[in-house]
Amino acid sequence: MENFRMKLKEEPPRRVLVADDDPVMRHLVTTTLKQQECEVVAANDGREAYRILQTDSQFRAAILDMTMPFLEGLDLVRYMRSERRLMRIPIMMISAEQDMKLMTSSFSAGAAAFLSKPFTPDQLQSAIRMLLGSGSSIRRAA
Amino acid sequence: MMFPEKMIVLDQANHDEAADNGHPFPVASASVIANDAVDMEVLNAFEELQRDDGSDLIVELIDLYLLDAAERVSQIREASIATEWVLLKRAAHNLKGSSGNLGVRQVAEICQKLEWVDRHDSPTAVAALIQLLEYESAMASSSLLALRQRRLG
Repeated sequence: MENFRMKLKEEPPRRVLVADDDPVMRHLVTTTLKQQECEVVAANDGREAYRILQTDSQFRAAILDMTMPFLEGLDLVRYMRSERRLMRIPIMMISAEQDMKLMTSSFSAGAAAFLSKPFTPDQLQSAIRMLLGSGSSIRRAA
Repeated sequence: MMFPEKMIVLDQANHDEAADNGHPFPVASASVIANDAVDMEVLNAFEELQRDDGSDLIVELIDLYLLDAAERVSQIREASIATEWVLLKRAAHNLKGSSGNLGVRQVAEICQKLEWVDRHDSPTAVAALIQLLEYESAMASSSLLALRQRRLG
């Protein structure tokens, strides 16, 4: 039991990058992640997220809005997939579009999940749980 | 391939009084609580995300939404005057997203229509749509402020 506790203590914080220029959505996603005991690093737009990613790769997952000023979510996905230190981070795209083409583009670029707005709290919670879970399986497989 | 399978696709489809409360918006009177600008069921669903720290997530979301929506509506108005369709569509797109998620459906629907606007549309039709957006946005704000007041007791 003591060993188990020690292991729990050693577990690194589940850090998640959240990039969304919409403060409502950013707050919603951040709150949900914190409920799932994640540490959130929030960016107000794509450019800010890009700058964070240039120096920080210690993320368990990334949740990116599709449409952001300066740098679109899809461009961020492509950047992350082109960088060895970032390519294993599972990414979920959020979009107000319910467009199959956009969804396909996200997956083709390397996103692991796509959540279209509007969504319910349950759907957001499930999607986040699955996203974090997919990260574990990817690390195990690696 | 880094991701052997696609993990998930979730597709589904007032001033003085306000100032006293530290809030920048007009506080709605009781007479405007009941309008259908906001689907309260959608908004109240966020109860399940409430934290145990005494804060009220729904109030926080309302505050953020009201600030953001006012700015977006203003951006839409300015972009239409300047015939900057890309900016207009971007602002409409953003407002559609947060409005839809908080149950502010009329605003979301008008924003959807604004996303389709282009240089071929008559300026009168676009102006009418924006006027409607401003009206619906004001109605929604009244409802949200009333809810905010009730929640804060």
